Amino acid sequence: MGLSHQNHDDGERERERERERERGMSVSDLPRKEANVLKGHEGAVLAARFNADGNYCLSCGKDRTIRLWNPHRGIHIKAYKSHAREVRDVHVTPDNSKLCSCGGDRQIFYWDVSTGLVIRKFRGHEGEVNAVKFNEYASVIVSAGYDQSLRAWDCRSHSTEPIQIIDTFSDAAMSVCLTKTEIIGGCVDGTVRTFDIRIGREISENLGQPVNCISISNDGNCILAGCLDSTLRLLDRTCGELLQEYKGHTCKSYKMDCCLTNTDAHVTGGSEDGSIFFWDLVDATVVSKFQAHASVVSSVSYHPKDNCMITSSVDGTIRVWKT
Amino acid sequence: MESDEVDFVFYGTPIEREEDFTSRRKKAVAEASGNLRALPPWKQEVTDEEGRRRFHGAFTGGFSAGYYNTVGSKEGWAPKSFTSSRKIRAEVKQQSILNFLDEDEKAELEGQFLGTSSQFDTFGFTAAELARKQAEKEQEKRPSAIPGPAPDEIVLPATESIGVTLLLKMGWRHGHSIKVSRADSRYDARREARKAFLAFSCDDAKNQFGSLGSSIEQPVHDDVHSSQSPPAFVLNPKQDLHGLGYDPFKHAPEFRERKRLRMSGYKEPGYRKALSIKDSLFGFKSGKVAPGFGIGALEEYDAEDEDVYASVYDFEETDVQEDEEPLRLGKDSKQKLIGKEQGVLPGFRVASNSDNHLERFEPPVIPKDFVPRHIFLGPLETDNKLSVPPPPEVPPPEDNNLKILIEGVATLVVRCGKLYEDLSREKNQLNPLFDFLNGGNGHDYYVRKLWEERQKRSDQTKLALDGKLSKNVQKMTAESRGKLLGERPLDRTLRDSSSSVTSADVHLQFNLSDTFTTPSATELSAVAKPFKDDPAKQERFEQFLKEKYQGGLRSTDSSGASNMSEAARARERLDFEAAAEAIQKGKLGKQSELSAQQFLEFSAAGGMQFTSSVLEEAKDTQSEKLMVKNMFPKREEFEWRPSPLLCKRFDIIDPYLGKPPPAPRMRSKIDSLIFMPDTGNTAKVEESVVKDLKSDVHKISKEEGNNDIIAEVEVEHVERPVDLYKAIFSDDSDDEVEGSNLKKVEDPEKKIDVASTTLNRLIAGDFLESLGKELGLEVPPELPYSTNKFKTPGPQKETASIDAGNASILPVGNNSSSTCDAVSGTPKSQAKLHHLDVSQVGYLEKNELIDTGLPSSSQYLETGSSENKDVKVKSEKMPQEARKAKSPSSRRRHWSSSSLSEDESRKLSRRHEYRSDSYSDSSNDNQDRYHSRSRARKKGSSREKRRNSRHSKHRKHRTMDSPTQSSRYGTEKERSDSKGERRRYRN
Repeated sequence: MGLSHQNHDDGERERERERERERGMSVSDLPRKEANVLKGHEGAVLAARFNADGNYCLSCGKDRTIRLWNPHRGIHIKAYKSHAREVRDVHVTPDNSKLCSCGGDRQIFYWDVSTGLVIRKFRGHEGEVNAVKFNEYASVIVSAGYDQSLRAWDCRSHSTEPIQIIDTFSDAAMSVCLTKTEIIGGCVDGTVRTFDIRIGREISENLGQPVNCISISNDGNCILAGCLDSTLRLLDRTCGELLQEYKGHTCKSYKMDCCLTNTDAHVTGGSEDGSIFFWDLVDATVVSKFQAHASVVSSVSYHPKDNCMITSSVDGTIRVWKT
Repeated sequence: MESDEVDFVFYGTPIEREEDFTSRRKKAVAEASGNLRALPPWKQEVTDEEGRRRFHGAFTGGFSAGYYNTVGSKEGWAPKSFTSSRKIRAEVKQQSILNFLDEDEKAELEGQFLGTSSQFDTFGFTAAELARKQAEKEQEKRPSAIPGPAPDEIVLPATESIGVTLLLKMGWRHGHSIKVSRADSRYDARREARKAFLAFSCDDAKNQFGSLGSSIEQPVHDDVHSSQSPPAFVLNPKQDLHGLGYDPFKHAPEFRERKRLRMSGYKEPGYRKALSIKDSLFGFKSGKVAPGFGIGALEEYDAEDEDVYASVYDFEETDVQEDEEPLRLGKDSKQKLIGKEQGVLPGFRVASNSDNHLERFEPPVIPKDFVPRHIFLGPLETDNKLSVPPPPEVPPPEDNNLKILIEGVATLVVRCGKLYEDLSREKNQLNPLFDFLNGGNGHDYYVRKLWEERQKRSDQTKLALDGKLSKNVQKMTAESRGKLLGERPLDRTLRDSSSSVTSADVHLQFNLSDTFTTPSATELSAVAKPFKDDPAKQERFEQFLKEKYQGGLRSTDSSGASNMSEAARARERLDFEAAAEAIQKGKLGKQSELSAQQFLEFSAAGGMQFTSSVLEEAKDTQSEKLMVKNMFPKREEFEWRPSPLLCKRFDIIDPYLGKPPPAPRMRSKIDSLIFMPDTGNTAKVEESVVKDLKSDVHKISKEEGNNDIIAEVEVEHVERPVDLYKAIFSDDSDDEVEGSNLKKVEDPEKKIDVASTTLNRLIAGDFLESLGKELGLEVPPELPYSTNKFKTPGPQKETASIDAGNASILPVGNNSSSTCDAVSGTPKSQAKLHHLDVSQVGYLEKNELIDTGLPSSSQYLETGSSENKDVKVKSEKMPQEARKAKSPSSRRRHWSSSSLSEDESRKLSRRHEYRSDSYSDSSNDNQDRYHSRSRARKKGSSREKRRNSRHSKHRKHRTMDSPTQSSRYGTEKERSDSKGERRRYRN
């Protein structure tokens, strides 16, 4: 087992290098130059997300608004106001027609992007909702709440009742990721639980540390889990092995994001001191680190195709980084 | 005219035509006077202006009044009991005449009440109203172009004259005197001068204006002041953190000035920073505002809204605050000084010459030859030598042995102190050899020897000291020397030093010898460094060694380890001790290197043992990390059922398609009930549970139509909802199916009690499940009722056959129902009794559960492991024991409740009859027989009860039980037959 893993690891490393060479991906290509600063949020920005094609980005924050930006031109396009409390997460459908957002008001809002009106509100979480995601077909919203549950909401019907409540978590669910067939949730109880709809199984990976944020690698084989012991952990999804740990940053008390770059060559994440870290995926060495914000970096989002990244911070700004 | 009308625009309500108006009035008048011809007089009604019936005739209440023609109110005149407790005071209702008046009567009274006059009308509403009314009145009087009253909306009377309005527009305000403002230039000049003056010295300004301190900031007030107008109230913005209306300077107005000065002082350049911080407090990112940000006014602010990010700003703030604090203090003191110079208190002035002179004395003259350093005259030892006269020279005693002994003792005494002498004297009191200690033979020689030895010793030490410390011996104090030598400070003896210097000295020596236990141990650490790779730990280890061999008091927190956790320290200490031991050993064996390796191993092992690492001990943490790595991530897999809709939405085929839905767990409520502390309120809980169960049981009850009849009949007797009875009865019949015979043996009197049986069974099912788990049996999940019913008979029989020899094993039904009786007799007594039971027999409570649940439980056990009979028997024996203990008492209780009153017993017997009727269809003969028997027994029992005292009851019951039981066994087969019949019937 160990040997095979080693081989596997080596193989992967080799592949990774190969890929890197192919794409000419090097440290110099990392987005480290500040291209734009998006100002407009009053108070902390809690999340910033690219849309599916990376032309726009959405942010949400403590000022109870969701804002739509063009990060490349630095233009504020629209503000979506209806939340009663801070907005913690936002996600947009692949066709850019709908938004979903969640926050401290325990509701999930389902928005129409162009009109800026709320189509539906999903109530049911018994606590704040930490994260929200559309599925591939934008037919289901899955939300992760402080009430130790994941809830799936139907966008197709007019029902405001959850389709399913997953309450096997033993602490607040912090983050949720969806694949075509799976729902993956990260929880403060230290588990990353994968709910495979296809086979009807729940696979729980216990990391032993509160999981703050999870994100899936672009090839879909790994989960990057940001833990509250200031460590990012990379898990193999098939066997549940811990592939690598990324350290150096500070993440002890805030909900912060981490993600992989679009080439899966590097891992990036913010720190509580306002700096951004880039780690090599394989070696786990800090390849780049720079001060980006004045305060806690709440969210990072990497462009799906280009070398571009947006970061949001408690200091109220969203910054766009390019090479 | 008609066509013209179309063109008009009407405003307001049209004036009625004369004819219409008159006709209506006529009619009204006619109605009012009652001379309407249409109706006969007895049908005519008197109404008030609102059309309410006014008069009802003498017998129906007279005039309409009060509340629906009664003298009551909405609340009515219902008698109320007056209650007033200390906490809830009775409300004293003040009645006034208005409570008893109609609206019209009130309207009549209106003129007598007070209203707000326009003079004091703040909002002008009443005034406007009044004016309008006035205008209306006037309108009526004088002729005008517009016929009728003018529309209110158009004509609004002025409340203020045109003059007032003009003045107001010119800048005049209410309450001001009218004069040319700022007419004289002298005033302006004076004001300017004053301003300039103020700018130079605030204090003078204050003196000049007295209380008008704020005039500096708001010079406009000066105008007000000068124009002799009534005081204008200026609203000062609240800038402090005191409560509203709180004035910290209420009784000390002097300090207000000081405070103001200080605040104005802030505006000086040195305080710019502080001020800016203050300002920034109200800025957006201050962190003091942020928490409330994002929350609506109507939402309460709770823990969720805490600004977790605020701490970032807090840090900054506190830092600055710290900077600011000393500055302010400095300024404060400066202010104080200034205040002293210029006079702080208004009306006071610093006196030019004060009577209060401090008398100063010259310092004492220091002699010219004084050297500011103390010089010791000489070492104490020499003093001792001088002060103690040498005892006379005495020849040694003849006995050589004695001489040697004396000399030995003397040296020892000198070395070890006087205590040794005392000790040996005490010890050897009877020994003639030691007479010399008590002034006997050889005492003189001993004294002499002692002196000599002492002399010798002191010389030695002196020599040693002299040799070691060259010149500055004299400057050394005892303490410093002690420090040099690594002694611990000695606790001084309280003895007078002058009287027995020698003894004190000896004592000192003695203590010293104690102090130096094992010197030169410190060298060991130099030899072996077991924690070379961790300098911090090595350091701590050395410290540990030093402490260990020094023998001094150990400091509670050894230097480096103060930041370690208790566990880590303890572990390290263990390591150290082991290492030290090994070092010692290694030293002995001259194999220090080897042993050092041993320690390493040991410490590593220690690290492995303790998982919670705290410090940066490289080895330990590494090993722990390894462990953690091995432990995490841990993968577990569970079954998870995605809902069909979710699958559909994800465009995935439901993996559980076509499979039965998961068995619903119907014990959500009961779960919580079981673990509730069992107290008197169980009864209530049971009831509620029964209601919950109602619906389930209702289904069952439908299957058995005959039971409904019973239920309906039952309602007559006890005032409880029908459904409850249905529930109870259907369940009861369940029991009956399981063991109709058993059921019939005891009194079937209280059918309601069976409700508690269901509960008990449910509880027992849970309990059994847990019990089964404990016993290592596989307990099948709780089954729905119907299956339960069908399965029961077989195992039941089996248990019976197994325990046929045991007479007391089977009264399952009997017991269950009897306990139920006990549990739920009459609603009130039930709780109490149950409680009593609980308190009486602690563990019996549990067994009771088994007891009652045995029909199902035995089945579980049976199905779970038929080969595992010994276990099963054991589990059955337990309830049996419990039963032995329990049944008599429960029976007794039951009786006591049954024989409470004649009435009740009668009722019970009636119920009995109903029951027998209903049962007749299934097992007629059995029923009757048992029924009659049980009745007889019941009678007997009640008699028994009356006769017997409480103590003798137990025995009696048992004797009574046995025949019925045996008879039951006899009819075992019969019963099963009937059951089979029943089953068939139902199917």
